[in-house]
Amino acid sequence: MKNIKKSLVNYPFLEKPIEIYERECGHKIIYAYKKGSLINISSWVKTGSINENDENNGISHFLEHLMFKGTSKHKAGYFDKTLESKGAIVNAATWKDYTFYYVTIPKGSDDKNFKEMLELHADMMLDPVIPPEEIGEPFDLNEPVTTKRERHVVIEEIRMRKDQPWTKVYNSVNANLYTSHPYKRDVIGNEQIISTIKREDILDYYKKFYTPNNITTVLVGDFNPEEVIPQIAKEFDFRGRLNTPKIEYEIDSQHVGGKYIEQYSNVNTGYTMFGYLGVKASDVRKTIILGMICSILGYGLSARLYQELIEKMPECIFNEVSAYYYSFRDGGNIFISANFKPELKDIALEKLKEQIQKFCTEGITERELKKVKKRLKVDIASSSETVSDIADTIGEFMTVYENLDCIEEYINTIDMITAEEIKLVAQQYLNVDNSVISVLMPEEYKNKG
Amino acid sequence: MDKVILNNGIETIIKTNKNTPRTAIAFYIRFNKMNISKSGMYYLLASLMFQGTKNRTGEELAIELNENAIEIYFTVKSDYLVFKILCLNEDVERALEIFQDMLENTTFDSVEKEAQKIKGELEAEMDSSRKQAQDEFYRTIYKNHYYSYGMKEAIEQIGSITKQELFEIFYQLKFVTAKNIFVVSDKSKEDILPLIEKHLASLSVKDTEYRENKNEAITQDRISTVVKEDANQAQIYMGWHAPYMENFREFISFMLMNNVLGSSGLSSRLFLELREKKGLAYTVRSVYETFRLGSCFYVYIATEPKNIKTAIDGFKTEIDKIMTELISDEELESAKNRAIGRKQFAYETNMSEAITRGLYQYLGFDLNYDEKIENMIKDITKEDIMNTAKKYLSGHNALCVLAPSEYLKEANLI
Repeated sequence: MKNIKKSLVNYPFLEKPIEIYERECGHKIIYAYKKGSLINISSWVKTGSINENDENNGISHFLEHLMFKGTSKHKAGYFDKTLESKGAIVNAATWKDYTFYYVTIPKGSDDKNFKEMLELHADMMLDPVIPPEEIGEPFDLNEPVTTKRERHVVIEEIRMRKDQPWTKVYNSVNANLYTSHPYKRDVIGNEQIISTIKREDILDYYKKFYTPNNITTVLVGDFNPEEVIPQIAKEFDFRGRLNTPKIEYEIDSQHVGGKYIEQYSNVNTGYTMFGYLGVKASDVRKTIILGMICSILGYGLSARLYQELIEKMPECIFNEVSAYYYSFRDGGNIFISANFKPELKDIALEKLKEQIQKFCTEGITERELKKVKKRLKVDIASSSETVSDIADTIGEFMTVYENLDCIEEYINTIDMITAEEIKLVAQQYLNVDNSVISVLMPEEYKNKG
Repeated sequence: MDKVILNNGIETIIKTNKNTPRTAIAFYIRFNKMNISKSGMYYLLASLMFQGTKNRTGEELAIELNENAIEIYFTVKSDYLVFKILCLNEDVERALEIFQDMLENTTFDSVEKEAQKIKGELEAEMDSSRKQAQDEFYRTIYKNHYYSYGMKEAIEQIGSITKQELFEIFYQLKFVTAKNIFVVSDKSKEDILPLIEKHLASLSVKDTEYRENKNEAITQDRISTVVKEDANQAQIYMGWHAPYMENFREFISFMLMNNVLGSSGLSSRLFLELREKKGLAYTVRSVYETFRLGSCFYVYIATEPKNIKTAIDGFKTEIDKIMTELISDEELESAKNRAIGRKQFAYETNMSEAITRGLYQYLGFDLNYDEKIENMIKDITKEDIMNTAKKYLSGHNALCVLAPSEYLKEANLI
């Protein structure tokens, strides 16, 4: 294959190494072998709310919806109808660092489904026409509208999220964790922006970010790469499209002194989320450690928080407790969340703080270390079970971590981490005095102080 | 696939999938809610099995499972309880030994506390508008049948369940004959069967009588509402009783009809008409659920509260259309291809395969059931689809709407 640079990476639990092909234009194609009757193709674009501002917040996600609205060759609906009629699952998603589009489909005989899937997927990625009639006219939210189109679909999605208690709690933590970084905004945006954003702005955004060096295409299945890689390269003809220069954003530092936000809603129970800033995804070792901390605190029935705050409590204060770590290019987030009896809010918050403090001062046992290492390895095994999970892992590494090298060393890195190291990282990032705490309470508690 | 009957009569099927790192086991137990007096009993029972046995405390059990990355979890459905066991291939024996201990030696020492925990979890779940509306919808469509028991009843009743009552249903569950096991593993039958026999063939079984009531026909439209003053979206469920799986041709015809109407992702009729053309919703779909004593079909949308009437009218138009006009050849072909193609997704992991095939086994279908489904799909005509739709959807329906009161009034629902 001319003008394509090839490299290999060993991926745990896959039978063969992953093949990475970097084209001269900057577009990357990754092939992972997985035996079976299903195949998956996905393209990962390095843009999401990270590249948005107060004027266009939500544009990445809105564009994701509009990418399905037809191309010069195929009108809106053709892509979904054609592929779904062959048993495919097609969809897309937008997050802070990336937007991705995927098709999972039975391979079919003679690779016919593959060829059709590839042609349609590449066509959608490179030639969306975004017809004005599919977007819908900009409108005033306070005025009645007769014709509703995709703007309204996205606005309904925003409404749906407003009815979700955890989304309310998460959004307020997220907004308060940052001061200047674009991560502070909700990926979906808001009704005001979506109802008025112009088609030209959407097209400009597409041209700026859907460029060769900003897109990675991942193929998972049972293929001969010598045959399929040139086909993918041919279909992904960028016709000299200019690449996206790397954009750097100022990284926020952890709030000193913390923050407390309380909201009210028509709910029966209390919700809380404690948030902390983590590390850049490129700091793989610390990213793994922060994931381990959250797993020890919040994964499974033997997790610290579950045992200490639910099982061993003489009275029921908490209904649910968990902890998780999100990796992002410019710095991940640690979240500790709980659902509790609203009348016991003060005790609940105090108990959570005690557990976080205890973790930082006492660290973990060797038994917990052994358990979390096994858990992480099983997680990797489980993420290699389906073509879509393999593609998701690869795509996320390529967009958030910006390379796949760390996958190869992932298990070795896990093995080298010590209990002492975990304690030190916890002390550095889980300072209870700097917690951003968001609470959602039932309406009747509004005037109770 | 190898089918074996254990010494105690439990049917076990073992399927070998080479080069897969984890073994999956689905253990189905049929029960009957008519046999119990309070809602939430089976869920409480299964939860308590994780709270300690005569040999392990709850904490020891949790640690042992997590340390070995063994996952044991359960789902309670309307007619059955299924335990799912997932572990690395080298840990199968340990996982089965722990599960056997849970099945045989649970102590039920913390009934009251566990009931309080579950009540709290359910209350949190009912904070979701969608869950709240769905709970009410099942109550409406399965009126007077035990399938209508939902989260609301469980919240009210779970706190009064006694240890004695739990022992009684635990005893029934341990001894019911209607159990089946489906294993999917890298290991062969010769490796797996001795382990299953060692740990699960010792369970005693005896014939069990099931008391059942058939689902009552909907003789007039049933309307229920849930007032939620601060809801940003109305939650609308509209449903009908639907064919049982035993009526095989009708079942497959209806499944294909559901595929055309609203279960097929981005290209179904409801998606195109109500979302893409009218911009009414982000989520709109149809669902066909098959239970042993009463299947149901419903259409669902979440939309701005002022759209309630438009959405219901949109549903009626699409339902009328599918009952009165033949679908196109292209739609029929696509629905068939989709139904056949999508089956492969259910077999992509050992766990999803064990659950899917285990359910077929539970329902009494034989090993070549998949082939039979595929053949029947190919045999269905456009007329079959229209006629089945007409038979089941032309009668009265059950409607449940959650919204702020002013919009329920505006739609003449209250």
